[in-house]
Amino acid sequence: MALPHPPQAVPVEYLAPQAEGVVVDLCGEEKNLHRLEELGIRCGCKIRMLSPGETCLLAIEGKKMCLRLGSTAEIFVQPLTP
Amino acid sequence: MANRAASDRPPIVALIGNPNTGKSSLFNALCGGQARVGNYPGVTVEHKTGRMLVANSAFKSIELVDLPGTYSLSARSADEAVSVEVLCGEMPSVARPDAVIVILDATNLERNLYLLSQVLELQIPTLVALNMWDRLEKEGMRLDAEKLSDSLGVRVVCTSASKRIGIAELQSALLELLDRGPGADSQGILERSALASATFPEAFRNSVDELEAWFVSQGCPLQRFQIERLLIDDSQAHSHRVIPKRIASAVADRIGQTREHLASNGVSIPLFETRARYGWIKQRVAGVVERQAREQRVSTSDRIDRWLTHRWFGLLFFIGLMFFIFQSITGIASWPMDGIGFASQWLGQQVESMMGPGPLRSLLVDGIIAGVGAVLVFLPQIAILFFFIAVLEDCGYMSRAAFMMDKFMSALGMSGKSFLPLMSSFACAIPGIMATRTIENRRDRMVTLLIAPLMSCSARWPVYVLMVSAFVPKQAVLGGWVSVQGAVLFAMMCLGALVAIPVAWLLKRFVFPGEPSTFIMELSSYKWPSFRVVAMRVWERVLSFIARAGTLIFVTSVLVWAAAYFPGDHSLLDQTTAKLETEQASPNADPAKIQAWTSQVNQLKSDLIAKSFLGVAGQWIEPIVRPLGWDGKIGVAVLASFPAREVIVATLGTIYSLGGAQDETSDGLAENLRSATWPDGRPVYTLATACSIMVFFALCAQCVSTLVTIRRETNSWRWPIFSFVYMTTLAYLGAWIVYNLMSAWLVP
Repeated sequence: MALPHPPQAVPVEYLAPQAEGVVVDLCGEEKNLHRLEELGIRCGCKIRMLSPGETCLLAIEGKKMCLRLGSTAEIFVQPLTP
Repeated sequence: MANRAASDRPPIVALIGNPNTGKSSLFNALCGGQARVGNYPGVTVEHKTGRMLVANSAFKSIELVDLPGTYSLSARSADEAVSVEVLCGEMPSVARPDAVIVILDATNLERNLYLLSQVLELQIPTLVALNMWDRLEKEGMRLDAEKLSDSLGVRVVCTSASKRIGIAELQSALLELLDRGPGADSQGILERSALASATFPEAFRNSVDELEAWFVSQGCPLQRFQIERLLIDDSQAHSHRVIPKRIASAVADRIGQTREHLASNGVSIPLFETRARYGWIKQRVAGVVERQAREQRVSTSDRIDRWLTHRWFGLLFFIGLMFFIFQSITGIASWPMDGIGFASQWLGQQVESMMGPGPLRSLLVDGIIAGVGAVLVFLPQIAILFFFIAVLEDCGYMSRAAFMMDKFMSALGMSGKSFLPLMSSFACAIPGIMATRTIENRRDRMVTLLIAPLMSCSARWPVYVLMVSAFVPKQAVLGGWVSVQGAVLFAMMCLGALVAIPVAWLLKRFVFPGEPSTFIMELSSYKWPSFRVVAMRVWERVLSFIARAGTLIFVTSVLVWAAAYFPGDHSLLDQTTAKLETEQASPNADPAKIQAWTSQVNQLKSDLIAKSFLGVAGQWIEPIVRPLGWDGKIGVAVLASFPAREVIVATLGTIYSLGGAQDETSDGLAENLRSATWPDGRPVYTLATACSIMVFFALCAQCVSTLVTIRRETNSWRWPIFSFVYMTTLAYLGAWIVYNLMSAWLVP
């Protein structure tokens, strides 16, 4: 069975504070994914974790966005090594 | 333009953009001081409409419509649906816009172009304002606006609305666009083949063609964009306006079948749309934007956020900030309040000196001046409260507070999106309830809407301040830093919010059960609050408060005065008052006579009010309110305040002005309340009574406008009735518990 996302990818909430990653996959309910993509959270975009947690604060392409998706969607990112 | 020429109305231009793109600044810059807030008929979301005056043009002015900020035209919440309805010309009484200005954040072009790609589908002449142009360099970006304009096929004007840069160019580009009209060769309308929808899968486009023909055959022709949205969007937040009821069921079947057909052809609804549009955007911005490779740096905003959004420090800061605000309000507002109180008394004295005793003088002095003046005295406090709220909103702090509150609100099954409407409700529940339109999840929206009236709105302030200033000791503790009155005021402001927690939990658990909603919100950038914006917001609220005092409270004051004045023979009172005033004006006044006549006047007033309609009503209501520690006068005043809670102050002002409790040493209503007694000589008002009244007002639904707003927002009388019953029950129980606890244990 094919992996749904690259092997090193981690859910976005696993990023440490100030760590960066590139979105490699979005999983979950399609209507939520549609919304995330409209907001610019889509494969290839760069994310920086500002405040981790269940409700996390992210910098996405320079804009700050708070996010709590629960079990409805998951954002997988490829961490960028500093 | 033919329709517009026929109706001779000014052109309508809609402004639309993502949130936090400087849309409001641009709107203000375009229409100067001509902005006003208005409601569209049938919907209650506040829109700003403004008039841009134009010289040397076929039009004298242009009507600008500032639509709610949105990321897309895929309407999920009620406010986003309004944007779609206005742009599609579906909003009753609002003509379809003649042009649209799409505001793009130049520093986040790709995401902002998503909305533009949808607006272009509407085939309305479109102009792009590339805002925040001045920030590009700071962000390490370069953008070729001319190339972008060529690539998009619409005119692009670079602006920096906050610095008023590019406004004249935008105005002139808009006039040029409107002068051309919506002909086929006009600027700002793309050929279908150039639109993003041309890149949608062929199966989808064919299905839209078929549906377009089907809707025509059903006698309900729809725009192509509307059909696309019906097929793609799950929420259907605005489709109820588009689809007649007679074919609603047939449409639902047809849409369902088409989606199944598309799925079997590999078209993944709704995700194909974002991918197709971003593909279109990628082509349009190729070679337009250059980004310099830069090292990651921690900005000042990041450093501030590290503290203000910190799990514990952020929360403590928020609580401390609120406490500081309420402490400041009590301190700063005292002198202007004294001034208004003095002016009200002076006016009453002037009227008394110009007219002899009688019903007309009583109406003016005891009814209107005492009633309306008693409410207007709280204007400074309300202005200061709105000043602080406007500053917090404009500097970007409020969205941080919503982020922090999400952690707490998710435990109640809600989200941080409910925080901003609830915070607005501290100023007034009506805009707070209307702001729930931004909440996408219906269950969350309903719970927020039903608990919003529990937040201590500014109309409760007069009641709190009156009771606190009259019965809470004016002293400071903790080395003089904390005023006891300010602390009690803060506690009263918090009470409704604290009670809202279990109420929200119960509603979410038993009335609106379901999975917790998601929370996605963009934080606006920090900025220094604009003096103009803050001043405008405070001015709007002050005017609204004065208008309420001049209408609803004025009428209620007159009615309460009439109920307290009639029936009764006032001839003896008028004669005695005339003798007393003549004696007081005499250079050789006899103090013994003055004292005797003053006592007689007070006794007569007291006897007359006891036999008045109001007095009789007070006797009826007293057994119901007695367990709360209230007498009949308070009961009647509370009853009169059900249309609007601040009326109680006016009513008490009138009752005690007519009731004869005033004397030469009286320093206003607070003193009158302190000197009111039961027949056995005990004071009516104690600290326990005052707290009982405040708790009742903190929890009761005494605002007809709020209940009507709930009716409009829910389209049902069920929910305002529910709010009224649960809040009034809570208020009575709360007041009873507080009075009995304080009387029995805390205050001997």
